[in-house]
Amino acid sequence: MPLIIKDEYPETLFREDGKRLDGRDNNELRPIKMEVGIIKNADGSAYLEWGNNKIFAAVYGPREVHPHHLAKPDKGILRVFYRMATFSVFDRKRPAPGRREKEISMIVADCLEPVLFLELYPGTSFEVFIEVMDADGGTRCASITVAALALADAGIPMKSLVSAIAVGKIDGKKVIDLSGIEDKAGEADLPIAITWYNEEISLLQFDGDMDLNEMNEFLDLAKEFLKSIHNIQLDTLKSKYIKLQEKTSKNKKDEDKKGDK
Amino acid sequence: MMDVKRIISKIEKDYIISNLRKEERIDNRGLWEYREFRIKSDIISSAEGSADVSLGDTRIITGLKYEVGEPFPDLPNEGVCTVMAELLPIASPLFERGPPDEQSIELARVVDRGIRHADCVQTKKLCIKENEAVYILFVDMYVINYDGNLIDAGGVSALTTLISAHIPEGIMGDNGLEWTGKYLTGEIIVNELPLVLTYGKIDDIIFLDPSLPEELVCDGKISISATEDKITSIQKSGAATFSIDEIKMLGNKTLEIGSKLRKKLNLLQYLSKIE
Amino acid sequence: MEDDEESVEDEFEDFEDEEVSREVVVPGEILTEDVKNFLPGRGTILNKEKTKIISLNIGLKQIKKNYINVIPLRGFYTPHPGDKVIALIVDKNPVKYKCDINAKDFGQLKPKNTVKRGKTRGFRGGSAVQDEISTEKFDIGDILVVKVLSADRLNKPELTTVGKYLGKKTGGIVISVDPPKIPRVIGRNGSMIKMLKNLTKCNIFVTQNGRIWLKGEDIAHERLLIESIYKIASEAHTVGLTDRMQEFIINEKKKRGIE
Repeated sequence: MPLIIKDEYPETLFREDGKRLDGRDNNELRPIKMEVGIIKNADGSAYLEWGNNKIFAAVYGPREVHPHHLAKPDKGILRVFYRMATFSVFDRKRPAPGRREKEISMIVADCLEPVLFLELYPGTSFEVFIEVMDADGGTRCASITVAALALADAGIPMKSLVSAIAVGKIDGKKVIDLSGIEDKAGEADLPIAITWYNEEISLLQFDGDMDLNEMNEFLDLAKEFLKSIHNIQLDTLKSKYIKLQEKTSKNKKDEDKKGDK
Repeated sequence: MMDVKRIISKIEKDYIISNLRKEERIDNRGLWEYREFRIKSDIISSAEGSADVSLGDTRIITGLKYEVGEPFPDLPNEGVCTVMAELLPIASPLFERGPPDEQSIELARVVDRGIRHADCVQTKKLCIKENEAVYILFVDMYVINYDGNLIDAGGVSALTTLISAHIPEGIMGDNGLEWTGKYLTGEIIVNELPLVLTYGKIDDIIFLDPSLPEELVCDGKISISATEDKITSIQKSGAATFSIDEIKMLGNKTLEIGSKLRKKLNLLQYLSKIE
Repeated sequence: MEDDEESVEDEFEDFEDEEVSREVVVPGEILTEDVKNFLPGRGTILNKEKTKIISLNIGLKQIKKNYINVIPLRGFYTPHPGDKVIALIVDKNPVKYKCDINAKDFGQLKPKNTVKRGKTRGFRGGSAVQDEISTEKFDIGDILVVKVLSADRLNKPELTTVGKYLGKKTGGIVISVDPPKIPRVIGRNGSMIKMLKNLTKCNIFVTQNGRIWLKGEDIAHERLLIESIYKIASEAHTVGLTDRMQEFIINEKKKRGIE
């Protein structure tokens, strides 16, 4: 155990100037960077930096199910394996997967399944591996966001992307996108994911206490910022292709450009 | 090349061997040439040192964590440094989930031994109080993409991680451990810079840094760790056999190529800048 | 040496069609809200309220007559009867070969589908009869060009090696690209592949599961061809690709000093 620097909770989660400890406003996201196609061996892959969170996701499939008895004759199965690196957290995590990792794996799978057409691939599996290399609060939301990107990158037909974000209450104030310390020391944390084809909630967990009014406000607040996450996802998927289009059409100006609306 | 499969096709095997005979490799390297190394250090904020190393398309992320514990009774004033490796299932369809298999244990062991016997980690500097408290360092390697020769990439990754270390310095005070506010950095912990070089062998052809298809078709491999002037560990793996003359030749090659690589990588540039 | 012809399939011509807009769309993106005049085509779906057509894939938006399609940029290979594909034998038993065809299921090649019918007639105990009941002809690790006889959602694809250009490959090398990029490697009416063949003097056989067999004079030519194919795959969604690739190969040949 690291005995020297203690993982202590600060007395207040706001600075004197009213900003949060990392200098953000209440309604400010941490910096987010996404990339797709970074793992060459995978059928689809994505990488996400969300604040200090650094997460890789890779998709393999559709492929034969191992072990074979898990295969379903009428539909494909989606399996998600969420894992954290030993060095991704303050106290070194034991290498073997724990209960928390198994629970999050299940939650992420349940959250992504509605956008897939598993019934078209009976007897097969889609496997999504999520590897958290660095964690700082909100890894389950980040995992859903990055896994959806990896699925899209694999070319697996999807009704839409899925985006997720946490909203919560710290020191009595409503904030979005809780960091690790805010998550631990705050009063409430509400991770929410949305499937965009029907704009419905596909992940919702909550621990803490809030009244009905607060809950309604949290939901509206989340919806607003889920859009920002979605826009970054769309941009990430497209920009790789669009940049190349622009580069090649610049080199060949005489080539008559078609389709650019 | 063809999508990664457990079985490599006969024509691919023939293709690789017949070209190696002509000293040609598909990626246009010479027999004694490395793929490009790309290194980033201190990328994990939760770790006390880390590295992201790519060798061609092989990529390994390594992080350092520490604990304070009791020393081994026979080494009362020395800290401990352990190396672990995990072949993540994201990295290749050939890797499966589950407890570490032979390949990942071999990777960890070979990298560990290369470091351990080279006077690399100054374990005496990791002692807080004799017989009572020492640092236990965990160097954990995670394979992100697998394109052959994990051992050499892992060796550089582990070494860079140790060099980038910034471990809070503790002293044993009256009320137990106290933090001095300073850090033990790579400058204090790391002395020698051992590098491990892996050679593949097919028939009687030997070549450096096997890529994935080469690794899948080769009869066997040999990994040699060396500092600037000493060989510190050797591991032969696979079903190949090497003649005495070949081993002697590879010993020479290792010192020669290792020395050039050490200069080129200039790993001491990744020392932690922390105060 | 056998003279191989590329397998050009009309079905995939869409990708090469210069009329395809180069607008990149992603899953869930609304393609149109004008459901009166447009119908959802390949790679698209109507939303639940039937008010919008949305994309299911990352791909290029295409309007063909009154259909809206999305030509995928990424994806996996789904076998269809009649497809010619490159297969790798991964296992065999006395009644069938198990073949990896880069699809979700392994393909099955039965010995009776590896010998021409009719040849056996008129002979007593001829060798072909022997072939028909054993799996001695090919070995694990062999590369075959096969045709898909049958494939559906529930059964494993059935393969054959009887037919033009089909059978075992000797020599050369097989590389893989993303299957949706294959039409671009072939080009409109085979224009890209003809250009590649002429300039690199390599034999090329392109198949729909994303695998490409090639064999040239020496490794320098093959290396250039492999790099060119990967470049085509990564720039598959851009316009004027054939001309640019031609320029690229001519320049690279000069640079590398190969004929």
